[in-house]
Amino acid sequence: MSSSWAAEAAAVFVKDWRCELRTRHAVATLALFALTTLLVASLVLGPIGNDAEMSRRVVPVLVWLIVLFAAAAGLPRAFVHEEESRTAIALRLAARPSAVFAGKLVHIATLVAAIEAIVAPLAVALFDLRVAAAAELVAALAAGGLAIAAATTLLAAIVAQGRGASTLFAVLALPVLLPALALAVAATRVALTGVAEGNLLTLLLLYDGSVVVAGFLLFPAIWNP
Amino acid sequence: MGGPEWVTAVNLIIWTGLVLWISRLDRKIRDLERER
Amino acid sequence: MKRLLALSLWLWMAVVIWAAFHWAPLAAGFKGQSSRILFFHVPVAWVSFVAFMTAGVESVRYLAGRRDPRHDRSAAAAVELGQVFAVLATVTGAIWARIMWGSYWNWDPRQSAIVVTMLYYAAYLALRQAIADGPSRARLSAAYAVLGLVVSPFLYFVLPRLGFSLHPEPVINAAGKLEVESRMLAVLTASSLGFTVLFYWLHALRRRLGAVAAHRDEGVE
Repeated sequence: MSSSWAAEAAAVFVKDWRCELRTRHAVATLALFALTTLLVASLVLGPIGNDAEMSRRVVPVLVWLIVLFAAAAGLPRAFVHEEESRTAIALRLAARPSAVFAGKLVHIATLVAAIEAIVAPLAVALFDLRVAAAAELVAALAAGGLAIAAATTLLAAIVAQGRGASTLFAVLALPVLLPALALAVAATRVALTGVAEGNLLTLLLLYDGSVVVAGFLLFPAIWNP
Repeated sequence: MGGPEWVTAVNLIIWTGLVLWISRLDRKIRDLERER
Repeated sequence: MKRLLALSLWLWMAVVIWAAFHWAPLAAGFKGQSSRILFFHVPVAWVSFVAFMTAGVESVRYLAGRRDPRHDRSAAAAVELGQVFAVLATVTGAIWARIMWGSYWNWDPRQSAIVVTMLYYAAYLALRQAIADGPSRARLSAAYAVLGLVVSPFLYFVLPRLGFSLHPEPVINAAGKLEVESRMLAVLTASSLGFTVLFYWLHALRRRLGAVAAHRDEGVE
């Protein structure tokens, strides 16, 4: 292989986005689920941002449930279409496993980021949210989003490899994501209320890092039988 | 509920039964391995 | 040889049981005699962690080595036992919670964390069930078990310390110093040791049973 690792990873990333922009399947699913749940919540709850107690207790978990729900609906097919369209073989020949993982991880991370970029501002507007620390909110969204992306990339790969395991994605993902989401929800609460709660972001980033490293170590074994 | 002596006795009975049962399983598996 | 070990284990735990109820003092802040449950609840929870770590290590050996099915069987056996011990930990914890606070379940972070752990390894077992091909099943479930090496410590040690918890302070506190009276610590340690040996005995049996079954199915050595 004459190409560099970075070039291979970038090529995988570009390919995935090219396919995505052509079919718009994942983006459409993500947007559909995110916006629908957001609108329903908004219709039922109204501008709960006015209520400080609601802001503290309900909004953070609501935001993350919307993101999680959208992700679980729209992301797991990340590897399945490779297997179905038989491009997986070509991919195995063209790039190193770790480069494939990196390219896919960044692709999924950008998808999650795109959804958060739509949901967050809309949520602020629809619920009339008061954000005490905007930078903290962005950090919480990024760190939590990375957890979703890392876990999804790894688990979607497992699920795609095992024939008949596709329905298991949610079952496998929930226990992995729960600790990260618990931290992300708490960090979001801190960003909205301005009341500190300890080193949540550090722990979350530690978790993210660990899952990403595990992903890089495990992906070759998952990808190559 | 009885005092500590009673609880201790119950626990010992349960524990003894458990060890005997596991030992029996151990023997059974050894038999299965031998006939292989 | 085996019989001597079994006898020693029996004797060891018999002494632990006696000591738990007659020699160790009661812990401060616990209702009545309820602190005695610690000598069973804590070791059993600890052993479930040991079991899941064992599964992870065996899975690493499987993936990194020659894909020996023995490591795969070992990992699966460890997960099954880990679940058993996790259930025991949950039940003993719930009993104690009932005594102390009147309800079996309080969505205490530690209680929730053990449930998430059990969900994790239930997913592992579900994954194995869903894949028919032996080597694929072993490879993919091994990957999930190795990921568990990252997730489990988080669930056992990090998550429960966040936020308000009804659980008493952990035995080793934030400063790393031991908070427990020496007799209690002795019984706790002895009990943990006994349960750990019990786990490895059961694990060995499960492994050997799996090997016999596998040889029966395949008819090969």
